[in-house]
Amino acid sequence: MPQKMKWKKQGKIFDPTTFKLFNEYHEFAQSPQALVFDDFVRIYFSVRKKDLSGKYLSHIAFIDMDKQFNKIINNSSQTVIELGRPGCFDEHGIFPMNVVRDKNKIISYTCGWSRRISVPVETSIGLAVSRDNGLTFGKSGDGPILTASLYEPFLVGDPFVTIFNGNYFMWYIYGTRWIQPAGNESPERVYKIGCATSGDGINWQKKNRQVIPDKLNADECQALPSVIKLGTKYFMVFCYRQAIDFRTNKANAYRLGLAYSEDLNHWVRDDRNLGIDVSENGWDSDMMCYPNIFECDGRIYLLYNGNEFGRYGFGLALLEN
Amino acid sequence: MFKWKKLGRIFNPSDVKGISWLTEFAQAPCVLVFDNFVRIYFSGRPPRENNGNYVSYTGYVDINRKNLFEILNVSAKPIMELGGKGAFDEFGIYPTSVIRNEDKIFAYYGGWTRCESVPFDVAIGCAVSHDDGKTFTKLGNGPVLSYTIDEPFILSGPKIRRFNNRWYLWYIAGKKWLTAETRMEPVYKIRMASSDNGIDWTKMNHELIESKLEENECQASPDVFYYKNKYHMFFCYRKSLNYRGKEGGYRIGYASSDNMLNWTRDDTRAGIDISDTGWDSEMVAYPHVFELDNEIYMLYLGNQVGKHGFGIARLMT
Repeated sequence: MPQKMKWKKQGKIFDPTTFKLFNEYHEFAQSPQALVFDDFVRIYFSVRKKDLSGKYLSHIAFIDMDKQFNKIINNSSQTVIELGRPGCFDEHGIFPMNVVRDKNKIISYTCGWSRRISVPVETSIGLAVSRDNGLTFGKSGDGPILTASLYEPFLVGDPFVTIFNGNYFMWYIYGTRWIQPAGNESPERVYKIGCATSGDGINWQKKNRQVIPDKLNADECQALPSVIKLGTKYFMVFCYRQAIDFRTNKANAYRLGLAYSEDLNHWVRDDRNLGIDVSENGWDSDMMCYPNIFECDGRIYLLYNGNEFGRYGFGLALLEN
Repeated sequence: MFKWKKLGRIFNPSDVKGISWLTEFAQAPCVLVFDNFVRIYFSGRPPRENNGNYVSYTGYVDINRKNLFEILNVSAKPIMELGGKGAFDEFGIYPTSVIRNEDKIFAYYGGWTRCESVPFDVAIGCAVSHDDGKTFTKLGNGPVLSYTIDEPFILSGPKIRRFNNRWYLWYIAGKKWLTAETRMEPVYKIRMASSDNGIDWTKMNHELIESKLEENECQASPDVFYYKNKYHMFFCYRKSLNYRGKEGGYRIGYASSDNMLNWTRDDTRAGIDISDTGWDSEMVAYPHVFELDNEIYMLYLGNQVGKHGFGIARLMT
């Protein structure tokens, strides 16, 4: 049994409502994901802007921070990755984007959004490659590399890829059902964490099973898996919530969960040992979501969003044990 | 050179009364031969919804094997229900292609969903029948063949075949959406995949048939059969825009291959074209070729892509 983790919250480190990003993005900075360089840490995240119809489009932006996470020393000044053409899986947004070093390349796995009629959206996972050290990314093609299949019928998204001993592992989410609430309310989705493996990062084999058991109930929504190896064990941090009434009801909102594994295949859920939860008050007092666990100069950090799914930015915590 | 003798229209959905799933259209016919009758699967539509959109269902008509113009039965219900909320096949099951596999029958079908920026998207589903093809149960709630890096949308028009114990699926894949005057119009091309079990598929990942009319030519219904030591494909093709009338509408094309991978297109050998007058005077589309009692037949759609049913032609030898 692993010991309980002890996190020291560093507070909110980025607020999109006060920082001037290119293209006048000033709402939301969701799903922060770190890429460590020699002298700085680049943090990619999704910003939002309304289109002519009044609906949001998510785009990717980044900031570069010094390695003490005290200062923003640079930020994206151009489009990091284009949204898709009409009819493509990522036409209406990319959120989130997971960036991975693969030998001497920087590649990214995107969650692309496209709008539907009977339900709000469908998502699939795309692949893009950077040729300029992570400033911009070019897609491998118009279509996705991982999408709906027989037993994962929709909402394949939230990719997180790591490479262990030359083998690619992807944890991601897939939808299991759409719930139609009473009245005219928009349908709500239920999704679970799945896993796929690959020898080249392009062609993937799904395991076709839920890898993290439910804690709340069968309709628990699990999102944004993030995996790291600490010692001899693998640890996954993710977020989970109730399927209904989760936006403004603190009791049903996103919390962070933890699982550990010896073999990357069987996972034991162990939320009690995560050792971080919502604050008494402040920017992360109602929810915590979209975690990204990473190592920088021998320290383990956790990026995450707080209230309102990251409308007011993201924060950082440092593992103390 | 093939030469087909048109025998006439054998099914007109307007002649059928009192079947709720079928008031218009009889599209993409596909046969399953029984001892005494021939079951022809096709897709039909109930009246338009209030929002002006159609849904499609697949059902069948049974015809007398000894007299192909005698209708024995029309399925009272579709062979399977549409998908649930948010599923890829929530708004239509069309076209459908069936094949026997031991004592079961497998169906591959295009499942339709509705989108915001473009009108629709399609992916290919799979279902199995244990009652001689009367009803089918989906293998899962999702598609069996879906979008990949260079097949980004509209995977449709499946045609399932088995040669030398390997499964082959010919289908179409969308390439781009064009912005037309009143709506977006898709461009799609013929492709194929193969499989050992009918469930796990390997895509060839390239277009099989060169375009003839224009770069944006739309190709559909790639129907392959083996005959005289060669693989033959009949398909249909049309212009990408203004295709609803005679001028730009569907015609039947032809290609042949020794290995199923490399195809030589030669439409002059198709041997079937529109008629001067009548139900197939503006287009001929969605060919399906099959052998029955030592004859080779082709089922095909006529004007308005099957709004008025399908006809049959016999290969002249």
